[in-house]
Amino acid sequence: MSSVSRKSWTARARERAVGALPPEKLLPDSQPSYMSSWIYVFGVLTLTSLIVIIASGSILALKGPGWWHLTGIGHFFNSIHMWAVELFFFFMVIHLWGKYWMAAWRGGRARVWITGAVTFLVAVPCALSGYVSQQNFDSQWISTQAKDAMNAAGIGAFWNLMNFGQMYSYHVFLLPLAVVALVIAHVLLVRRHGIVPPFQLSGAGAGAKPTSAARRAPDSGSEGTS
Amino acid sequence: MTAAIFNLNHPAHTVHWHFFSMSVANVVVIVVMLVVFAVAILAPFPGHGGGER
Repeated sequence: MSSVSRKSWTARARERAVGALPPEKLLPDSQPSYMSSWIYVFGVLTLTSLIVIIASGSILALKGPGWWHLTGIGHFFNSIHMWAVELFFFFMVIHLWGKYWMAAWRGGRARVWITGAVTFLVAVPCALSGYVSQQNFDSQWISTQAKDAMNAAGIGAFWNLMNFGQMYSYHVFLLPLAVVALVIAHVLLVRRHGIVPPFQLSGAGAGAKPTSAARRAPDSGSEGTS
Repeated sequence: MTAAIFNLNHPAHTVHWHFFSMSVANVVVIVVMLVVFAVAILAPFPGHGGGER
């Protein structure tokens, strides 16, 4: 059999993936010293909250509304799901504030910033569609009130809060799929480009008082993970 | 079913200031977020001796 002169698409895809994100970047041994600050913890806290949301939401979907409304353990998982969403947004907004003030789009990290910002925008309707998916009087009240805002915005025909099947499908499948896909892309891009370094301290002036994170950054101008 | 820690059997309290109108619960959450943000920047990170790991 003659040797194959052209590489298969799987080989090309593998080489491209490994070239863009080699294993030592995908799963690094160490991180830069300036990462030793509490402000860098909020990204992974957001990620942890998302895992709890997906896990508790999957259990709720398996058991159904009779279980989550009428049993003690159902109430417990319903509460786990709701409070995990609260913490997800709590941590994500602090993560967003931190990255905004670090100007985290520096050093070719525009796509890291964009995927994070779009994740936030997609997560909002993902969470709000949960309010109208509860299957109780609360969800009926919210959907009949909020539909007027959707109609006023001109999107009521595409995002119909009175259509339970549509809202439930968006809440348990379409929007979570988009959020998880965006988060995976965001994390892979962070791995590829590395954590954004602090601003150069030398330009801050003699009287400037650096933060606890910046004080521990001897190589503040470096790019990527060490 | 256990009772709520706070009495929830009333309309939400709101903060009004000119055009600004927000429930007290949301104001409290935003203030807590600002406090946590400040603490995250200023608080020392434990177990860090300096230099590259």
